[in-house]
Amino acid sequence: MAAEPFRLASGGRIDRTRPLRFRFDGRDYTGYEGDTLASALLANGVRITARSFKYHRPRGIMGAGVEEPATLVELMGADASANRPATTVALTDGLVARSVNAWPSARFDLGAVNQLFGRFIPAGFYYKTFKWPDWHLYEPSIRKAAGLAAAPSVPPEGAFEARHAHADLVIAGAGPAGLMAALVAGRAGARVLIADEGSEAGGSLLSRRLTLDGTPAMGWVAAVVAELATMPNVTHLQNSTIWAYREHNLIMVHERAPQNPSLIGRNWRVRAGQVITATGAIERTMVFAGNDRPGVMLASAVQAYVNRWAVRPGSRAVVFTNNDSAYAIAADMAHAGIDVAAIVDSREVVPDHARMQVTNIPILAGQAVTAVHGHRGVRAVSVAPIRGGASRRIVCDLVAMSGGWNPAVHLYSQSRGKIVWDARLASFVPADPTQPVLAAGAANGALELGTALAEGAAKAADALAALGMAAKAVQVPLSSDTPYTIEPLWTVPAPRAGAKRFLDIQNDVTVSDIELALREGYANIEHVKRYTTGGMGIDQGKTGNVNIIGAVAERQGKTPDQIGVTTFRPPYTPVDFGAIAGRREGPVVLPYRHTPLTGWHINHGAVMYEAGARWRRPGLYPRPGEAFQDTVNREARAVREGVGIYDGSPLGTYELKGRDAGRFLDWVYTNVMSSLKAGEGRYGLMLTDDGLVLDDGVSFRLGPDRFLMSTSTGYADAVWQHMERLLQIERPDWEVRITNVTSQWMNATICGPRARDVLAGMGTDIDLSCAAFPFMSLRDGHVAGLPARVIRVSFTGELSFEVNVRPRDLPALWQAALAAGAPFGITPVGSEANHVLRVEKGFLSLGHEVDGTADPHDLGMAWVMSKTKPDFIGKRSVELRRASGKARRELVGIRPLDPMCQIPEGAPLTPAGRKETTEGFVAACVWSVVHDRWLGLALLRDGQARIGGRAHVRLPDRVIEVEICAPVFHDPKGERLRS
Amino acid sequence: MAYDVQITESPRAALFDLKGDAVALTAWAGSHLPPLPARPNSLTKAAAQTLCWIGPDHWILRADAAQEDALLAALRPSEAPAELSVVLISDTLVFMTITGPGADDVMAVATPLNFTRLAADDVTLAEALGTKALLRRIAGGFEIAVDLSYAPMIEEYLHRIRA
Repeated sequence: MAAEPFRLASGGRIDRTRPLRFRFDGRDYTGYEGDTLASALLANGVRITARSFKYHRPRGIMGAGVEEPATLVELMGADASANRPATTVALTDGLVARSVNAWPSARFDLGAVNQLFGRFIPAGFYYKTFKWPDWHLYEPSIRKAAGLAAAPSVPPEGAFEARHAHADLVIAGAGPAGLMAALVAGRAGARVLIADEGSEAGGSLLSRRLTLDGTPAMGWVAAVVAELATMPNVTHLQNSTIWAYREHNLIMVHERAPQNPSLIGRNWRVRAGQVITATGAIERTMVFAGNDRPGVMLASAVQAYVNRWAVRPGSRAVVFTNNDSAYAIAADMAHAGIDVAAIVDSREVVPDHARMQVTNIPILAGQAVTAVHGHRGVRAVSVAPIRGGASRRIVCDLVAMSGGWNPAVHLYSQSRGKIVWDARLASFVPADPTQPVLAAGAANGALELGTALAEGAAKAADALAALGMAAKAVQVPLSSDTPYTIEPLWTVPAPRAGAKRFLDIQNDVTVSDIELALREGYANIEHVKRYTTGGMGIDQGKTGNVNIIGAVAERQGKTPDQIGVTTFRPPYTPVDFGAIAGRREGPVVLPYRHTPLTGWHINHGAVMYEAGARWRRPGLYPRPGEAFQDTVNREARAVREGVGIYDGSPLGTYELKGRDAGRFLDWVYTNVMSSLKAGEGRYGLMLTDDGLVLDDGVSFRLGPDRFLMSTSTGYADAVWQHMERLLQIERPDWEVRITNVTSQWMNATICGPRARDVLAGMGTDIDLSCAAFPFMSLRDGHVAGLPARVIRVSFTGELSFEVNVRPRDLPALWQAALAAGAPFGITPVGSEANHVLRVEKGFLSLGHEVDGTADPHDLGMAWVMSKTKPDFIGKRSVELRRASGKARRELVGIRPLDPMCQIPEGAPLTPAGRKETTEGFVAACVWSVVHDRWLGLALLRDGQARIGGRAHVRLPDRVIEVEICAPVFHDPKGERLRS
Repeated sequence: MAYDVQITESPRAALFDLKGDAVALTAWAGSHLPPLPARPNSLTKAAAQTLCWIGPDHWILRADAAQEDALLAALRPSEAPAELSVVLISDTLVFMTITGPGADDVMAVATPLNFTRLAADDVTLAEALGTKALLRRIAGGFEIAVDLSYAPMIEEYLHRIRA
């Protein structure tokens, strides 16, 4: 075959001086700069470019843009990308592509065997067929068989970016209406962002031979684009699709070819004052037998290939239409040398303005194409009168069909604007907006060029007025376009039983499928969509949705507006995940917070754990060759028997100031804090409005109206938000100022029987004696020569000093502690050992025992519920819950009867270990260094009354019997921590 | 490099978080502060100090680190009246500057804030790279201050944007 045998000798918006080589389905071809993969394939005479989703029928290129339903390709190599419509792939030198859903190629596809039993796999067949024993048994195979291309196995070379922008006016589409709107708004000085999905501006004008003010319309486009480029207030993006319209006029733009060599894609999140959707219109198919065969194309696509890409998709064509637009297309086809055998128009009467455009082409009014002949390509069509009568056969290799035009209302609908049926256009058009959005041009039903231009200018003026700006007068050029009229024809009767008339080309949904859905009771259009999958997939039914609605209406004896539309959802077209993520990759995907000691921990072999609120803390510090449990035991024993040290910096710390700070603490905690004296502290539980534990922590009084609050690490931010919400919404009259000082006071906690010795060894001006510095008190002073705030609290059950210093001083403090503690064998302790220590002591941990369902009574902490305070948050809920008398899960200790038996944390407890509803779960299970055995904590139904009894942990392979005991295994009187 | 910018971490400063009634603040510390800014999200300067108005009854005082002890002594946080909160926060924030021709582009990635409306020395709390930040427009670019614990991540993120 000669190179590009279907390329026209001249014309088109391609650069013939820049030939390109590419490969498709294993064969080499050539094209030109400016081609798409689709136009280049057509120029080379490649007709079978795809296989259909379900039946593996041969398919060709049907559209010319994002509406393409048939030919999806997988790009290989450096361009690796899956499921790209061939019509949207810009041809580049060396491009390698292959068809999807076909093996070994679209030309010869083994999957075509599906066609033999296609009648047995109608819509929903798998819902009915693959039920026993379990759908999931079949699902992988079905998905593989019906699936499209897989995602690339490696990320693309280059970077994506996600950025924010703000604009007075965002315009979706740089067609005639969008450009005119941009011109008006730009001249008025508004900050305009105009984004268009095409490789160049112009929209439909790129494909049509129209004039404006007597000169080619593309000349006007070029002039407008040039003027916009001179405006610093205008951002003009091509290759950029507005793919989502969110709340508060947040617009998502996917820019596929940023003008920055470091970037391969970009997503814009644009906040717009006003939006104009000038997104054009999309032609729909005609629904007749064989309307999916290679060589059956949208008429507008044929026009685009002829005029824009100088490609002749066929040699002898039949045009099948129900509207006027196809006549200009037929004229363009004839102009390009295509023999147009006939225009088959389903309307009985064809308007004169249409006829006048094609005086040399036969018009068969009141007739329809009833069948396509040819399996791997069009060889002929059968044409018959709509009202009945004999059919005749017309030999052709191309069918250009036009079922009418659908305004692209997707974005408008996403904005939650109402769309309504326009009988004049036989389609849906924008109506009442709910956000500051206007529709203009074909997207608003203004399908004639002159009207579209005028609307672009008018809507821009409206948008400017809403922004408080004035539009300057603009001259709307005179257009050569002709009027548009239509008489819808939703479906052409099938010539024989079993003939497939496709409504949704991409998903292989036929008229029969719709009829089956209706017969089975799926009358609502949303149900029809889900039952048949019509309107789903990559093209989201751009060419088929309205036909489906029309077909349903026709069969139900209703009008399309009575049927309604399915929901338009983003994305309008596929978006690169990379563009959404932007630069968030690698270490900034899940960023973790550092303390000044993070480097030290890592350098000393710490295994870092996620600790909540994006912090990572040392889990343990294994020595070379040391097993996990041995490390944990060593660290835990150090604290029980000698001294340990850990980095407690991530604990949330807040300073509260104001006349009402005390009573505010009394309100948010269950116990009384306002009675604290300066330097004293108290443990407290914070509840939600539901009376469930939100957080636990300690608060200290620093002065008359000044408190220091310490929260858990993971809930620090939540607690802050909780307090601010209460102050700003529920108690705005209270004088309380909260300052986050988590990063101002960071601490090293020295814990264990020798902690006092270590602190003394570091040198301090604070009297460390128990009498002078008792448990739950705070002292300001110096430690190791550093300004410090030392707090006596304990999370381990041992004598502990939490030494808080400025972060800049923490490394020096840490080193001083290690030096002073060396004679006592001071050991850095990770969170694993801390977990052991707090379980032995029966201290709570959020996320374990405090799982969002427990109240203080459940945790055996009724003592922390003040009986004297008139109110605190959650009090009423707790009392109501208690008043119900219903059994609750309560905190208990558990000891496996086999002391060497470890129980997985989270394991369920069931009555006698039977397969029954759980009566609780194991919240924690650790190897106790005090008792040399496994023990744990559990939340167990009526647990406190069952202490001394037995419970059973049910695991998949065994049942573990445990003894129920009090939830404290070490120093129950608290003598050690108070020592 | 995608964007031509310099990203520089600033030396630690003396910082005080000031909350409360403006009259009370002036009465307590007026002689040690620059004049209170007249417009929200703006700052005033005096004697190597800046006073940023960043929220209702909320200011940040920034000074050279060398002034920290003197300011601590002058502002006396522990003795401030009940209606006034004075808290030393010098270590909590890390300041970075982003300057150069690509500064706007980097910030467009970093923050959803419409910073085009910020005039020179305008300052505001805003979201930046997923965390709370103090943003200020400076000559040739921006200054961004983030919590100490997030600073390594933010710096890494900014360099990734620039790359």
